[in-house]
Amino acid sequence: MTIYSLWIFDRHCNCIFDREWTLKSNQASGTTNSKQNEDTAKLIYGMVFSLRSIAQKLSRNESRNEIRTIATGKYRAHILCTATGLWFVILSDLKQEDLSHVLRYIYSEIYVNYVANNWLGPIDFAETEQEKRGQGTRKITNRNFVRGIEQFLSPMVTR
Amino acid sequence: MSSGSGNVQNGPAVSTSSKKSLRVFSDDIWKNKTAKINAELFTLTYGSIVSQLCTDFQRDFNKVNDQLFAMGYNIGLRLIEDFLARTALPRCDTLVKTSEVISKCAFKIFLNMTPQVSNWSNNKDVFSLILDENPLSDFVELPMDASKELWYSNILCGVLKGAMEMVQLDCDVWFVSDVLRGDQHSEIRVKLNRILKDEIPAGED
Repeated sequence: MTIYSLWIFDRHCNCIFDREWTLKSNQASGTTNSKQNEDTAKLIYGMVFSLRSIAQKLSRNESRNEIRTIATGKYRAHILCTATGLWFVILSDLKQEDLSHVLRYIYSEIYVNYVANNWLGPIDFAETEQEKRGQGTRKITNRNFVRGIEQFLSPMVTR
Repeated sequence: MSSGSGNVQNGPAVSTSSKKSLRVFSDDIWKNKTAKINAELFTLTYGSIVSQLCTDFQRDFNKVNDQLFAMGYNIGLRLIEDFLARTALPRCDTLVKTSEVISKCAFKIFLNMTPQVSNWSNNKDVFSLILDENPLSDFVELPMDASKELWYSNILCGVLKGAMEMVQLDCDVWFVSDVLRGDQHSEIRVKLNRILKDEIPAGED
């Protein structure tokens, strides 16, 4: 199993967390909340946004049709969209069919515990109108959260 | 108001369309995936908050109502994430479904009660939640000066408002009657103002 990166977007279309692993041999390698990844984040957002609206337009009955994975020739994107507008995206190699349980775990055990239940931290990462609609740059920097993600995902980077 | 266990679910387990399965589904979450706490501890904690607020605002009960609402609103903004993480429910298409999820699922999971949904307006944008039992106001008797103005459980209205706003439903929520004031039953009224639009990135429209 190889995981390449994790991205979290909020309902203001901003990337609020990113973690990219660069070396398979070193689980601690790579970047967290890197400024250099801003453009990549925007591209990933755009890809999911477009395919998500296509999926919803093409669903036959009225029930919602959420996109779960997108495969390309080199990698697969796994996506979890919550009703509050949060998106969790993991990029992995093509061997991973479905990481939805991993995404659910990140949401319910790491995000909810260390971000939503952390009352002294923000719940909304856009403080002004100028930071909404994909123009904000605030990130989740909370140590417990970063450590939680690291402990949970690092073993999967190389396994 | 209680912490979750380590279980993780795969995708939405029910569609909100079938009434019966929603009830079974919530019972299961309540029984197996919710850590229980002592209800009296909860009741007394809430009571001490209200009494402290009454002292702080020198028994200006309108201010106390507002403050409870604001506190609830902030709770709702965060509690909705916990709720969605536990239930994995998708967004509701209609307010009728929303009302079912609130009464059968949300109240069940967080307070172990199932208020009745009733008094729908003709165009289905206003409904009432009838609370037969209310763990917040166990043991409580309002003093004379408070019984006309204080909505003791007003925090619930704030929670509903905050949580629904996070799923893009702009609502007004308020109490219309309360057994503590001598009414027949406690009733919360919920009115949908509009469905908020999802944001799209700048330059996309």
